[in-house]
Amino acid sequence: MSNTYTIPVGPLHVALEEPMYFQVDVKGEVVQSIEMFAGHSHRGMESLALERNFFQNIVLTERVCSLCSNNHPLTYCMALENIAQIQVPERGQYLRVIADEVKRIASHMFNVGIGLHVIGFNTLFMHAMEVRETMQDLKESIWGNRMDISANTIGGAKYDLDDELEAYLRKTLEELKKPVEEFKHMYATHPQVKARTKDVGILPPEAAIEYGLGGPVARGSGIDNDVRKETPYAAYDKLKFNVVLGEGCDVRSRALVRLGEIFESISLIEQCLDQMPKGPICCDPLPDIPAGQAVARSEAPRGELIYYMRTNGTMYPERLKWRVPTYVNWEGLRVMLDKAKVADIALIVNSIDPCLSCTER
Amino acid sequence: MVLSIFKVLWNNLKQGPSTDPFPFGETFTPARLRGKVAVDPEACVGCGVCATVCAGNAIKHVERGDGSGKDFYVWHNTCTFCGLCQHYCPTDAIRLTNNWSTAHRNEDKYKMKEHEFVAYARCPQCDQAMPNMPHAMLDHIYGAPTEELEAIYKLCPECRRQKAAQQFGAQIHD
Repeated sequence: MSNTYTIPVGPLHVALEEPMYFQVDVKGEVVQSIEMFAGHSHRGMESLALERNFFQNIVLTERVCSLCSNNHPLTYCMALENIAQIQVPERGQYLRVIADEVKRIASHMFNVGIGLHVIGFNTLFMHAMEVRETMQDLKESIWGNRMDISANTIGGAKYDLDDELEAYLRKTLEELKKPVEEFKHMYATHPQVKARTKDVGILPPEAAIEYGLGGPVARGSGIDNDVRKETPYAAYDKLKFNVVLGEGCDVRSRALVRLGEIFESISLIEQCLDQMPKGPICCDPLPDIPAGQAVARSEAPRGELIYYMRTNGTMYPERLKWRVPTYVNWEGLRVMLDKAKVADIALIVNSIDPCLSCTER
Repeated sequence: MVLSIFKVLWNNLKQGPSTDPFPFGETFTPARLRGKVAVDPEACVGCGVCATVCAGNAIKHVERGDGSGKDFYVWHNTCTFCGLCQHYCPTDAIRLTNNWSTAHRNEDKYKMKEHEFVAYARCPQCDQAMPNMPHAMLDHIYGAPTEELEAIYKLCPECRRQKAAQQFGAQIHD
């Protein structure tokens, strides 16, 4: 039993249907060290972005990743607006928040559901997907697509809500509260779920700070860090919400943070609907973009997303670079996977909500 | 609680399948669904903003050799259904319908396109061809167009200049 083995985990479908390869040294069934290899889904997007004009890039950035497909174009547009000094109309800012939060609910529900699938609890996984399906129908009804909702454009939002859709949105959110509450209760109290997720993948708060982690991964370890709170963008400075924090520092704590954030998101959307003024949704539709550079950041479902953009006065960006939440979060896996059981590797990997198509792009 | 899982299962049994019975029945298709693009050649001014913003380069404007107008192509298989063309079109000539049925046989792949002919308007005075100016565009630029504008907006630039000068001269005479 004292022998050490090296086993491969991945690269296909470690937790989510995304490729990442782990070379894991184990002693018995306990992980001793891991080596991570990425690069299986590189599509050359930063280069592709230079060949497309600013408007085409809204769509390109949306296709970087499907689960945070609203945050990418949003942050991209914010970077451009910083360069061109564009003021987004107030209604447009509220509409951006609504789109952002609906995507966040769907993304969190998906991640928690996949976590249950990984531990083999497929009944609750299917139930999570069914609860999430109301959000998918909502996206399809308001924005016209289940994943790539295409809600943003340079200078504002691309969609507007009429009275009928607003009533539909309110009704859907009201109807979502009870199933999510029940789901959260089941997740928190089910003995088998608890046995598989509690004290698994421990990430001490100090390690979270040392590795610079963000999003629900850091908040699950009690690190109060949320871009929406710290440097509010869009209409977040006018809205009230709590940063959901977890105490357990484990897989379960991170999942409960995500489930808690769903309620904050619902409340944020309801506040938006109450406060949203009438008026234009978008500024001058075809703005001139001068030469310059800018950085924008936002809170994607997985953590902090940063865009850097440099322009040269033409219709095409000179450099577009983004740093995605998973890029920092996966370094945290070294801490979480240390001394973990082999059987828990997929579960722990899923708990950082990895998005490799963002990271490798 | 273990019991609540049974509640979920019992509800699922009562509800029946959550999936749509497609293709044997209707499937969920909201009015705003972003499906195949449709073009209204009457409303198009041929400005080309749709082709500029099109993410997949699915839109092509091709000038006809005889100067009678432009052919407007939208390739459904290249289209990403992002709706930027609809957003930026000044006259609402291009829009996304909620028709999502794009399945086709491989031999039909070059027929999966929208083709419209955007005819140029003719100047009523000198018969010169020029891009069509639909009323929607006039409203978009001037709000409610005045009578004077109504009289000259269909003329070609040269005739319009003459006509405007005549109108202006008549005003000075008065």
